[in-house]
Amino acid sequence: MHYQVDSWGYYMPRMSMGSDPMERVAKLASESAVVIFSLSSCCMCHAVKRLFCGLGVNPTVYELDQDPRGKDMEAALMRLLGNSQAVPVVFIGGKLIGAMDRVMASHINGTLVPLLKEAGALWL
Amino acid sequence: MNVPTGFIHQEGSAFGFGELEEAIVLQGLNIRNDEAKAPLFTTGRPAATLEMFPSWPMRFKQTPRGSSKSGGGSTDSGSAVNTISSKTENQLEPESPISSKNTTPLDHQQQKQQEMMASDVSRTGASQNQSIAKLPQEKRRGSTSEKQLDAKTLRRLAQNREAARKSRLRKKAYVQQLESSRIKLTQLEQDLQRSRSQGFFLGGCAGAVGNISSGAAIFDMEYSRWLEDDQRHMSELRTGLNAHLSDSDLRIIVDTYISHYDEIFRLKVVAAKADVFHLITGMWTTPAERCFLWMGGFRPSELIKMLISQLDPLTEQQVMGIYSLQHSSQQAEEALTQGLEQLQRSLTDTIAGGPVIDGMQQMAIAIGKLANLEGFVRQADNLRQQTLHQLSRILTVRQAARCFLMIGEYYGRLRALSSLWTSRPRESMMSDEHSCQTTTDLQMVQPSQNHFSEF
Repeated sequence: MHYQVDSWGYYMPRMSMGSDPMERVAKLASESAVVIFSLSSCCMCHAVKRLFCGLGVNPTVYELDQDPRGKDMEAALMRLLGNSQAVPVVFIGGKLIGAMDRVMASHINGTLVPLLKEAGALWL
Repeated sequence: MNVPTGFIHQEGSAFGFGELEEAIVLQGLNIRNDEAKAPLFTTGRPAATLEMFPSWPMRFKQTPRGSSKSGGGSTDSGSAVNTISSKTENQLEPESPISSKNTTPLDHQQQKQQEMMASDVSRTGASQNQSIAKLPQEKRRGSTSEKQLDAKTLRRLAQNREAARKSRLRKKAYVQQLESSRIKLTQLEQDLQRSRSQGFFLGGCAGAVGNISSGAAIFDMEYSRWLEDDQRHMSELRTGLNAHLSDSDLRIIVDTYISHYDEIFRLKVVAAKADVFHLITGMWTTPAERCFLWMGGFRPSELIKMLISQLDPLTEQQVMGIYSLQHSSQQAEEALTQGLEQLQRSLTDTIAGGPVIDGMQQMAIAIGKLANLEGFVRQADNLRQQTLHQLSRILTVRQAARCFLMIGEYYGRLRALSSLWTSRPRESMMSDEHSCQTTTDLQMVQPSQNHFSEF
C-alpha cells in the first residue's frame, strides 16, 4: 500500500488516506445500494440516472469531475471496464453491473429489478 | 510575381481572354524565335513592347462572347495558333497588329502577365508544340518580302478563318455535350432518389450519388443484402411452420433468424461510427418506416404492442412476461430519450450565442458533443436487440417462429406501403413502369396468415 500526500492537508472522513483509486471506487460502491459513477457533463450518465429514477430507485451518484481524485478513479474504471468510456458505471449492492449497455440488457431480460430488490433499493 | 488576379481570371468574360492569351503567346513566341526579323504587320512602329490593348479593329470587339469567335483575323502564324486545342478558350483572331513584334520596352507588369498567360496556354494545348514548330516556318515565309504580303497573306487569312470556324464548331459541340450530360445526370439522380425511397438499393451505385457518405453507402448496400437474406429466412420460417417440423428443427431456424437480426445490429454499430446521421435521420429506411423512427430504428415497445394481440394463445406467465418486457422497454426508451434531450440542450447551449471570438473553440466543443450521438444510437440498437432476444426466450419455439414471421411481414408491408406511396397516381406521374411497380407491390401485400396491421 502506498501513501499519497494529500495536498489539501485536511482530514477527509470516511476516506482512507493513500487508498488507490480502485479501492476507493470499491469502497464507495459498497456504501450504498445503488451507486452510479458519472460525469456531470455526460448525457449517457443522465440517461442512466433517469432510468433508475424512473424505476423508483434513489441512486447515489458520484460526479467524478467534481471529485479531487476523479481523474484517477476514471482511469481505474476504464481499466475495470476495459473500454475508453469510464462512465456511466453502475454498482448494485456493491457488485459491478456495468456500463449502460449491460444495465439496459439486464433490465430487458428482467434481472435488474430482482437485483435492486435484493439490494434493498426497491420495495414492491 | 505581382500579377493582378483580376486580369488572369477573366476567362469567358467580355474580354475574350483566350484570344488575348494566344495573341500573347504568339507574341512571346515571335519574340523568342525571331528577334531580328521585321514584324509582318508592322505599321512602321518600332515594336519591342507587347501591346496588350492595341487599337483593335471593331470586328474583333464585336465578337459575341458565347461560343463563336471572331473570324477572319490572322497573324503571320495564325493558322498555327488555331490548331491549339479547342478546349482552350476563344481562338485568337485579331486583325490587329497585335502580333507585330514590338520593340518598345515592355511594362514590367505586362511582361509578367505575358509569361503567366504563356504558361497557361502551354498547359492547355497539346498541339502547342505543333504550333511552335510551325511558327518559325510561317514566320520565315511571311517575312521574306513585303511584296508577297497580299497573296500569301490572303490565303493564310482564309485558312485561319476556316480553322477558326471549325474550332468554334467543335467547342459548340463539346458544350452541348456537357449540357446534355448534366441534364442526364440530374435525371439519374432523381431516378435513384425515387428508387431508394421505393426500397430498391442499387448495388454499386449508392456510393456514386454525391450527397451520401461512403460509410452510409456501404451500409445501404449491406442493408439491401440483409433485406434479401431476410426474405429468404422468412420463407424458411414459413415452410418450417407449415411443414410442422419438430421443435428442435424449428429451433434451428429460429436461432438462425435471430442471428440474422444480430448481424444487422452489428452492421449498424459500424454505420453509427461512420455516419451516425445517416442512421438517425432514417435515410437508410423507406419513408413509411421513417414515420415510426426512434433513435435510428424501430421503437421496441411499439413492436411489442403490435405483436401482443397476434401472439395468442399465450400462457398467463407468457402474457406477464410480454407485458413486463413492454414496460421495461418503455422505461429504457424513456431514459435514452431523456439522455438525448439533455444532449440537445447541451448542444444548444454550446452553439447559441456566446462569444464570437472563440467561435472555433465553440465549434470544437460542439463537435465533441455531437459525437455522443453515436453512443445513443448504439444503446438504442442494443435495446432493440435485447428485446428480440427476450421475446424468443419468453415464447415457445413455434410461437417465436410465428412472431418473427409477423415482424418480417409487418416491415415488409411498411416498405411496400412506402413504395406504393411513392408511385401513387399523381397528375403527370403515371407511366407504364409505375403501374408495373404497383402490381408487384400489391402482390406483396396479399394477405398471408395474418391480417393487415392493426397498428
